[in-house]
Amino acid sequence: MLPFLIAVVEDEEPVRKALSRLLRAAGLHTVTFEGGEAFLESLAITHPDCLILDLHMPGMSGLELMHELKARNIAIPVIMITAHDEPFSRRRCLEVGAYSYMRKPLDEAALLDAIAEAMGHRPAFKRQPASAA
Amino acid sequence: MTPGGLLSLPAGLRLERFRLSFAAGLVLLAVAYFLGAKLGFVLTPQRLPISMLWPPNALLLAALLLTEPRRWWMLVAAVLPAHFAAELHSGVPLAMVFGWFVSNCSEALLGAVAIRLLRPRPPRFDSFADACVILLCGALFAPILSSFLDAALVKAIGWNDTTFWQLVRIRATANTLAALIVVPLVMTLVQNAREALATAPRRLLVEAALLFAGLATVAFILFSNLEPDARSSPALFYAPLPFMLWAAARLGPLGMSFANLLLTAVAIWGAMNGLGPFAGGSPEDNARAVQLFLIAASVPLLLLAVLLEERRRAERDAREQRQQLAHLARVATLGGLSGALAHELNQPLTAILSNAQAAQYMLGSDTIDMRELEEILKDIVAADRRASEVIRRLRALFMNEVIQAQDLDANELVREVLGLARGDLAARDIEVVTNLMQPLPAMRADRVQFQQVLLNLVLNASEAMAAAPAGARRLTVSTRAAGEGGVQISFYDQGPGFKPNDAERLFEPFYTTKPKGLGLGLPISRSIIAAHGGKLWGESRAGAGAAFHVLLPPSGPLAWLPH
Repeated sequence: MLPFLIAVVEDEEPVRKALSRLLRAAGLHTVTFEGGEAFLESLAITHPDCLILDLHMPGMSGLELMHELKARNIAIPVIMITAHDEPFSRRRCLEVGAYSYMRKPLDEAALLDAIAEAMGHRPAFKRQPASAA
Repeated sequence: MTPGGLLSLPAGLRLERFRLSFAAGLVLLAVAYFLGAKLGFVLTPQRLPISMLWPPNALLLAALLLTEPRRWWMLVAAVLPAHFAAELHSGVPLAMVFGWFVSNCSEALLGAVAIRLLRPRPPRFDSFADACVILLCGALFAPILSSFLDAALVKAIGWNDTTFWQLVRIRATANTLAALIVVPLVMTLVQNAREALATAPRRLLVEAALLFAGLATVAFILFSNLEPDARSSPALFYAPLPFMLWAAARLGPLGMSFANLLLTAVAIWGAMNGLGPFAGGSPEDNARAVQLFLIAASVPLLLLAVLLEERRRAERDAREQRQQLAHLARVATLGGLSGALAHELNQPLTAILSNAQAAQYMLGSDTIDMRELEEILKDIVAADRRASEVIRRLRALFMNEVIQAQDLDANELVREVLGLARGDLAARDIEVVTNLMQPLPAMRADRVQFQQVLLNLVLNASEAMAAAPAGARRLTVSTRAAGEGGVQISFYDQGPGFKPNDAERLFEPFYTTKPKGLGLGLPISRSIIAAHGGKLWGESRAGAGAAFHVLLPPSGPLAWLPH
């Protein structure tokens, strides 16, 4: 496993589970949270290298969480993901400081590339043997 | 196919078939005219120059009303040979025969012209205004005017020595009666019969048969009665009235026309055979008495039948419009839905894709955790199923389902639905209290769809109380009459309730507080109730749970009439 910790904040369990499986299979330590509050609490103990954040969540939305992180001066690269692509979401997310904005369903190659770049590294992850794009 | 058939033919019909059916109609008209004249002769009592009922003119009038004016000359031409064939027998001067042709046609044409002038669209017997105009012009104005012409011609040719005014009177009554019986019958047959027979439930046909049997019996008794005090007991004349009213209410103008025909046939039969209440005086007096009785009996009831048919049609149109509106409202929300829909489908798709790609990774490593692969596959299947469910429920929301309305008792339906949900309620230890008002006005609704709504509300309440403390899990269902003949069904639960601001949000597609919920139950239920003309809404009872109310409007004053 690679020495990185990826946090996934996503309210729906099936998606959360699937994303965490994918990241772990690619060799990344992953920790998942059901919502923004839980993630913020965890920051007392853990410090992830990258955050995969769902935009639409009940309670604290992705944007609200980002504002909160900014307010607390916490710099974690964020990849915003959404199932619900509205016209100005991309711009709004990038304005508030997200590194990248991706639409679901997520292709693993694109996701892993984005994570690598967000963390400032060249892509150095395992690739599946014969990946179909 | 009669001439009227051409009015109902679609525009893109081939020319040959078009010509053929019109030609066939002309032949049919000519034959009917001939037979009608023969019948008229049969119905001529002894020593009278005029028959009691003269169908040919009325037949021609009905045919004219069913055809576009530019073809009228063809109808008149078709009828000419039939007229001559019927009227030309020994002793009658050719001039008289021709004179009668002129007066007959002038009656029909006069009526048709007047009616078409007053009613711009082709007249139909399911409109009250049309019916009034048809009867006034075709059964009053035209016969009277043409009777003057007829009497004048008879006097001029010297065919008969009855006085001018007598001729006018006798002729006018005979033709008016014929118009009243024949015109509605022919028009409703051509315009409505096919559709009416196709859509009539068997029960109605049985009812009609019973009605006619009863009417025939009563009419026979009335018009064959030889008792001297029969004439002096006018109450007996009202004996057919209940059957006639029954026909007017339940069978529409078509059935009413047949009832009129039946009554007329029996009455004339009685008079011709010297039986019944009209057999006492001179032949002319008898004939006139029968005619006037029949005219008075048929007109109001025919108009009543038309009026009721009009109301019935208006209600049917309103109901269809309401369903259309509900359908359109559902479709309109599709625009607003696309965002929510994208979300609902993208989530399971993400789960499927990421799970599958994770599995691909795992298969490429040295050690494969089979149990994890098994989990992955299970999750993929579950996600797929969820996506299908979303699409299925969405389709249910937008399907324009035809409502098959039945008479329902709300109380009975509530009990049924509570029975269906019994397992669910028992598993959650939910106490059910019912407050069903008796008696309750009858409801007209689609049984299956309405059950679906009630079941949805019961199960929602049950789920809401799943986490409530024991002893505080009561579902109260109450029914009551609301407004004038409407019915309201209410469901009260002791669950967490909802914020008053969210009262409308609950009905937005895909809004749900359940972890595995789809959020489509309430929107679907509301659209079903809306299609029935009712209302479904939620009420937040601060701290005491939630209430959901279904209100169905009264079935309408004509609910007892067949649809």
